[in-house]
Amino acid sequence: MIEFHNVTKRYEGGFEALSNVSLKLDDGDMAFLTGHSGAGKSTLLKIIALIEKPTRGQALLNRINLNNLARHRVPYIRRNIGIIFQDHQLLFDRPVFDNVALPLQIQGYRPQEIAKRTRAALDKVGLLNKEKSLPITLSGGEQQRVGIARAVVHKPMLLLADEPTGNLDPVLSREIMEIFVDFNQVGVTVLVASHDLGLIEELDKPRITLNNGQLILNDLADTEQEAYSGWK
Amino acid sequence: MAGSNVRRDRPATSNRISAYLLHHLKSLLFSLDKIYQAPTTTIMTVAVIGITLSLPGGFYLFLKNIDAISGDFRSSSQISLYLGLDVSDKKARALEKQITEMADVTSTRFISRESSLEEFRQNSGFGKSIDTLSSNPLPHTIIVEPVEGDTFMVRNLLNTLEAMPEVDIAKLDTEWLERLYTIIEIAKRSVIIVTILFAFAVLLIIGNTIRLDIQNRYQEIIVTKLIGATDAFIRRPFLYGGIWYGLLGGIISWLIVEIGYLAIAGPLDRLNLLYQSDMNLITFSFHDFIILITSSTLLGLAGSWIAVARHLNQIEPT
Repeated sequence: MIEFHNVTKRYEGGFEALSNVSLKLDDGDMAFLTGHSGAGKSTLLKIIALIEKPTRGQALLNRINLNNLARHRVPYIRRNIGIIFQDHQLLFDRPVFDNVALPLQIQGYRPQEIAKRTRAALDKVGLLNKEKSLPITLSGGEQQRVGIARAVVHKPMLLLADEPTGNLDPVLSREIMEIFVDFNQVGVTVLVASHDLGLIEELDKPRITLNNGQLILNDLADTEQEAYSGWK
Repeated sequence: MAGSNVRRDRPATSNRISAYLLHHLKSLLFSLDKIYQAPTTTIMTVAVIGITLSLPGGFYLFLKNIDAISGDFRSSSQISLYLGLDVSDKKARALEKQITEMADVTSTRFISRESSLEEFRQNSGFGKSIDTLSSNPLPHTIIVEPVEGDTFMVRNLLNTLEAMPEVDIAKLDTEWLERLYTIIEIAKRSVIIVTILFAFAVLLIIGNTIRLDIQNRYQEIIVTKLIGATDAFIRRPFLYGGIWYGLLGGIISWLIVEIGYLAIAGPLDRLNLLYQSDMNLITFSFHDFIILITSSTLLGLAGSWIAVARHLNQIEPT
């Protein structure tokens, strides 16, 4: 699903957010991306989400090279990804239902289909009764669940989450993480950036740890090495 | 998962086409709703557009009226023939008959020296002074009405008539009209210049409004881009916004001009009475209305297109 080959990202001004990172996340895998803040977690996710481009090295998503993708193809690649943000990024001028339905509208689903899938996604995060509420009236945990519903409503192959529990208390955090595990169990590839080490320990999933832009721990390393040698 | 970017259950093409049309409708209504949600901004923008467009619109109508009035004059261009003072009454009447029979002439009217003098005595206020004259200084006059035709034909006729020995002076009454036409032509070009300038102003107004609109919805644009919206999808509501501004502005400008003309209609009636004329004010025809509305709508679309092209591409998630 995701392959990084010696990916380096250097921002303008010389700051190197990622240095020579190689990793591989297979279809159906779930992994946690950890590290202190500024370690390069967000940059790594941004490269996958086509927000940033690698300065050096190669990043592949579903064997598509993300380094030099034509601008007009970007939206179509992004439709395979569901992104969950720490600050939810909900649109506060419209109700929950419209927020969650947005990816389906963008992809041109029919209204009946949109209604069906949106309600299914809301049901999965336990917010079916809130579909008419405005996001501002919801609690932080509920808002994050709306964000998750929006990220999964179009059944993406890959789910990316950037500090999804950053603003939540431990109980809510656990609930959110368990939702991700549920999605992984039905075949969605999941990559979650988090520094909630206690929770990650409990969930017992592979970890990828970054420190100052360098990969210092990779529980997926075996498969990665394999792929890497095969690749050469 | 084999296919590189094959979607697992992508909507069928036919569904996607109807969804595409549906999104157009949705954007149209969405942008209308945005306008409805922010009435003050909308009213101000639309009013500015309306006032701006009402100026060229008003000028256009003014010219249309002038054109209609001068058209009446043109169709009644006459040639006045002043005969020599030595031409007798009998000879003059014979000449009139001869001219009436000419191919390019519709009708003639004979004004004898005596009746000219009488008319002059009554209307000029110089009655007493005229009485002191020993002889009548006014010649016999024949008013010739040419058949309708081009200027060239009328000029030819004028030359033929002027060459006649009995005719002292032949005068075409259209010389002042030609001057008027030249002035109208200058005015017409000025209106074109004014229209271009004001159309440009409308373009800028709408462009700026849409630019602000884009800035206000910065977050929404970022989010929809991250979700996989194409540029066209994001562009659509803004373009419809521009169309609405243009359309409403056009309607306002039409109203302004119509009200303005109603205000003029009263005094004009009095003027008609004073001049015993029957000038009728022409307002926008249905055709004019359609052109006004269409062009203002297109200006709206163009203005928003420029704003969207300039600013939307700069907004990328970071």
